[in-house]
Amino acid sequence: MTSFHFDIGSRARQAGRFIGRVRGELLRALSEKRAEAGFSQQALAQKLDVHRSLINRQFSGEVPLTLRSIADLAWAMDLEISFELKKPTARIGQNQPATTTTIEHGRIRFIDGGIKRNSIPAVPENWQPPQAKKSA
Amino acid sequence: MSTIEEFVAASAILPIEVEMSAGDQPMRLLYGTPGFIVWLDEIVNGAEPKSRLGEATPAEQIDDLFHAFLLGRPLVYTRQFRAIRAEKNAVWELKTPDIRIFGWFLKKDCFVGVFGNWADQVKDHDLYRGYRIAIRRLRRELGVDDNLCVQGVSPGDVVSF
Repeated sequence: MTSFHFDIGSRARQAGRFIGRVRGELLRALSEKRAEAGFSQQALAQKLDVHRSLINRQFSGEVPLTLRSIADLAWAMDLEISFELKKPTARIGQNQPATTTTIEHGRIRFIDGGIKRNSIPAVPENWQPPQAKKSA
Repeated sequence: MSTIEEFVAASAILPIEVEMSAGDQPMRLLYGTPGFIVWLDEIVNGAEPKSRLGEATPAEQIDDLFHAFLLGRPLVYTRQFRAIRAEKNAVWELKTPDIRIFGWFLKKDCFVGVFGNWADQVKDHDLYRGYRIAIRRLRRELGVDDNLCVQGVSPGDVVSF
């Protein structure tokens, strides 16, 4: 089985996913505010004294978000901003970067552009689930 | 009854992957037709619309969308995906500021992309109906059964939140 690996390079990937994460966070916050208190884009626009179309374009990603506009939107939704830069950390038990999904597959299959590898069983063949110990 | 594996084995659709970070666990599946893969390849190679709206490049926008989709992150209905028309075996659209992707959900959380285009071209030329008809025709030609097409048109029918 072959697959298509959509790879744009680490620099572009980091930029795109960061921009997407900020935008997604704003969309999620607005959606929650709307569900909680009927807070609309119109209310947001009025609070910030800007036209509703600007708010709409900011949320749809059609205009760049400046740091100030993010701060203003957070203020208008009565939310605090958390921002952090940190070194990537490796944790014990952390997954390795996935090469394919494991959903609905009994065995993990590696797809790497045609290079054949043996399938690796998700669990050893003789593996038995541990017996539950009866408590006294 | 046809299966996803059969379509993949026949190269009618191909699995699409994006780079995952350590700790990422894919929760959804993404496929594309060969024509869609060719279009994706053009995007990877730097294709740009006449006037870009988004801060990110088209390739970055798609990488982020696919990454969020595959990781099972919540997608905002109408902003990031929607059904073209409320009908049985609906055709669905995935959206970024500059890109529109048309396809259908084989199963819940399992999307196959068929066409991609610039958002402004799709809107300016009202291409929704054409893509919808073309995808329905393709499904007929492939022999896609109802079991490989999500019937519902509610957001919760096609993606887990």
